[in-house]
Amino acid sequence: MLESLEIASFYILLGSVTLSMLSYFMWLGGAKKELSGQLATYLAIIAIIASSTAITLRMVISGNPPLTNGYEFLLTFVWGILVVYLFAEYRYKIKALGAFVLPIAFLLLMFVIMSMGPEERIAQTIPPALKSQWLTFHVVTAIFAYGAFAISFGLGVMYLMKLSNEGTHKKSNSKGIVASFPALDKLDELEYKVIAFAFPLLTLCIITGAIWANYAWGTYWSWDPKETWSLITWIIYAAYLHARLMYGWKGKRAAWLAIFGFAAVLFTFFGVNYFLSGLHSYG
Amino acid sequence: MEENSKDLSERVWRAFSSMKLGLYLLGIIALVSAIGTVVPQEAMNPEEAKAVGGVWKMMGFTHLYSAVWFRLLLGLLCINLIVCSMQRLNGIYRRTFKLKPPTALAQIPQKIRLEVKGESDQLRESVQATLKEKGYHFTVSDQSENWSFIGIKRRMGNWGSLITHLSFVVLVIGALLGSLLGFKGFFMEGAGSTIPIQAIEVSKGKVSETFSVRINSAEDRFLPSGERDNWYTDMSIIENGKEVARKTLSVNHPFVYKGVTFYQASFANGVKFTVNMNGKKMPVILRDQGQSYFQAPGTDLYLVTAINTSSAQTVNALYQIYKGNDEKPIQTGQLEKGQTIDVQGTYQLTFDNLAGFTGLQVKKDPGVAVIWLGCGLLLAGLLLAFYWQPIVISGVLQAETDKQGTLTVGVLSGKMIASNHEVLQQFVTSIKPEKIT
Repeated sequence: MLESLEIASFYILLGSVTLSMLSYFMWLGGAKKELSGQLATYLAIIAIIASSTAITLRMVISGNPPLTNGYEFLLTFVWGILVVYLFAEYRYKIKALGAFVLPIAFLLLMFVIMSMGPEERIAQTIPPALKSQWLTFHVVTAIFAYGAFAISFGLGVMYLMKLSNEGTHKKSNSKGIVASFPALDKLDELEYKVIAFAFPLLTLCIITGAIWANYAWGTYWSWDPKETWSLITWIIYAAYLHARLMYGWKGKRAAWLAIFGFAAVLFTFFGVNYFLSGLHSYG
Repeated sequence: MEENSKDLSERVWRAFSSMKLGLYLLGIIALVSAIGTVVPQEAMNPEEAKAVGGVWKMMGFTHLYSAVWFRLLLGLLCINLIVCSMQRLNGIYRRTFKLKPPTALAQIPQKIRLEVKGESDQLRESVQATLKEKGYHFTVSDQSENWSFIGIKRRMGNWGSLITHLSFVVLVIGALLGSLLGFKGFFMEGAGSTIPIQAIEVSKGKVSETFSVRINSAEDRFLPSGERDNWYTDMSIIENGKEVARKTLSVNHPFVYKGVTFYQASFANGVKFTVNMNGKKMPVILRDQGQSYFQAPGTDLYLVTAINTSSAQTVNALYQIYKGNDEKPIQTGQLEKGQTIDVQGTYQLTFDNLAGFTGLQVKKDPGVAVIWLGCGLLLAGLLLAFYWQPIVISGVLQAETDKQGTLTVGVLSGKMIASNHEVLQQFVTSIKPEKIT
C-alpha cells in the first residue's frame, strides 16, 4: 500500500517536473506569458509536494533517512534543487532561471527511470556502516549545496547566452528569449551569491563526512575517489571565489567556472559511482 | 654578501606571499588528486596497482597521496598560506579596529554614494544617533568647519578569510601528527581468543602499547524483520594478566582505550572446537569455509572446517583433515554439537559451539583532535566570511555656509553591491528623511 503510494508520488513528481519545465520554456518563448509563468511555478510547487511525499513515505517504509542508495539520493537531490530554485525565484523574481534549472531535475529523474530497475529503487536494508546520525547531516548539507550549485550553473548558462546575444546585437535591445533575462551584472552577482551560500555548506558536507568516516572506518580522510572528487569540486569553487574577489574575475570567466564547478559536482556523484570504485558505494 | 642573502630571502618571501602561487598550487593539487582516482592506488587496490607501469610507480603515482612530492605540494601550500596570512594580519587589524574617518571627499566610496544637505550640527547628531541605533562601531572627527565619520558593523566578519586560510594549516598539522605518532592496523579473531596488540597486522606506523585484547564474543545480530541489525563485539583489554576495560562495540560505535581506537570493520562465522591431545585440552577456533586451519602440535595434520546450515533445527560442523601437502583430505565428516571423534589416533576433536570472528580496525591518531579543531576553524571562518559580512559606512560633511553643509555618505561596496545600496538608502532615510539627492 505505502509502496504503491510512493511509486505514485514518484510519477506525479516526474509529471509535474516535466510539465513545469515545458511551461518555463513556453514562458521564455513568450507564449501566453502570464498563464504559462504561473503554471510553471505552480507545477514546480506540486513537484516539491510530490517529492516530499515520496521521501516521507520512503522514510516510513524503510525507517531510515532516505539517503542510503543512489535512487534515494537522486530523489532528495531533485527535492533540493526544487526548493533552492523556488526560493531564488521568489526572492529574486527571476522566472527565466526555471527554464535552465528544471531541466536538471528532469534529467536526473530521467536517469532514474532509464538506468535504475525497480529492484534498485525499492527500500533496501542498509549496511551497518550507514547507521549513523552523521549520515543525515552529511547528506542534508550535500543536498542543499548541490541544489544551490545547480542554480548557479543555470545562472552561468543564462549569463553566457545573454552575453553572446548582446555581442551579436551590438548592445541594442536584446532579442529572443534572452530579452526576459535579468541584466548581465544582476545574473553575475546572483551567481556569486548562490555560490557563496553553497560553499560553506559543501565544506560542512565534507566535514560531516569526515566525522562519520572516522566513526565508521577509523579514518577521517582516506583519499577514496568520492572524497577526492568532492575535494576537487571544493577547490574549483574556492578558485571561483578567489578569482572573483581578488582578481575581479566576473562575468564570462566566472560563469564558465560556475558551469565547470557543477560538472565536477555531477562527476562526484555519477562519475565516481559508475566509473571509479571505492568505499562510497551507496550513492 | 649580506645584501645578497637579504635580497634572496626577500624574493623568497615575496614569492610565497603571492596568492597566485597559492591558486596554482591548489590547481595542481586538484589535478594530481584527480589522477590518483584513476590510477589504481596501493592502499585501495593493491592487485591492480602492481600492474601499473614501472615509471609511474617510481614517480609515486600508485601511492600518490602519500608520495613525497605530493606532501611537498601540501607543505608549499601551507607556507604560502602562512606567509599570506601574516602579510594580511596588520591590514585586517586596522580595517577592523583602527578605522580612520575620511579626510577628503575622495575617500568616500564612489560606487555607493548619496548626498544629504542640511544643518551641520543637526546632521551630526542624527548620524551619531543612527549609527548607535543600528549597532555600528564608529568614530567622528572634526576638521575646522567640516566633520567626517566612519562606522563598521559586523566587524568580526573581516577575520573570516584569515581564519579560513589558517585552518588549512591546522588541518595539515593534525594530519602530520597522526602520521608521525599514530598507527593503523587490523586483526581478525574468533570469540574466546586473546591477541597482544603488538601482534596485529600494522599497515602504518608502529605500535608502542603493550596490552592484549580478548574477544569475549562476536555476534552478527538480526532484527525480527530479518534485516541485519549490526555486528557486535564484546571485548576486554588485558594488562598484566588483568582485565582493565571491557566494552561491546559495533559499526559506528567504536571503543577507545588509552588513545587506541577499535572499530568494528567486518565479521565472519566460525566454529569453536576442543582438541584433546594426550589428555591436554586446548580450545581451537576456526573460520567458516576453511579460511583458517589448525595444525596439531608436533604433527603434519591440518584441520579445516565449514558450517553446515542445511537443516534449520541443528547446526553441524563439517570437518576435513589433511596430511602434509596432500591435496585430498584423509578424513572427513560431520559433527553435531557436543559430539567427539578421534582424529587419526592423534587427538580427540569436540565440536563445542559456533563462534563469531570479528574483524577490528585498530587505530591510534593523536592528530584527530587537531583535525576537528581545524574543521571547526574552517567552518567558523567561512561562516564569518560569507554569512557575516562587515558593512563600512563613512561620510564627510562639507560646510557651505555657517551652519549649512552637504554630507556625502558612502558604503564600501564589498562583495554585495545590490544589498549595500539598500543599506545606504536606509541609513540616509533615517538620518534625514527628506532631501535625498
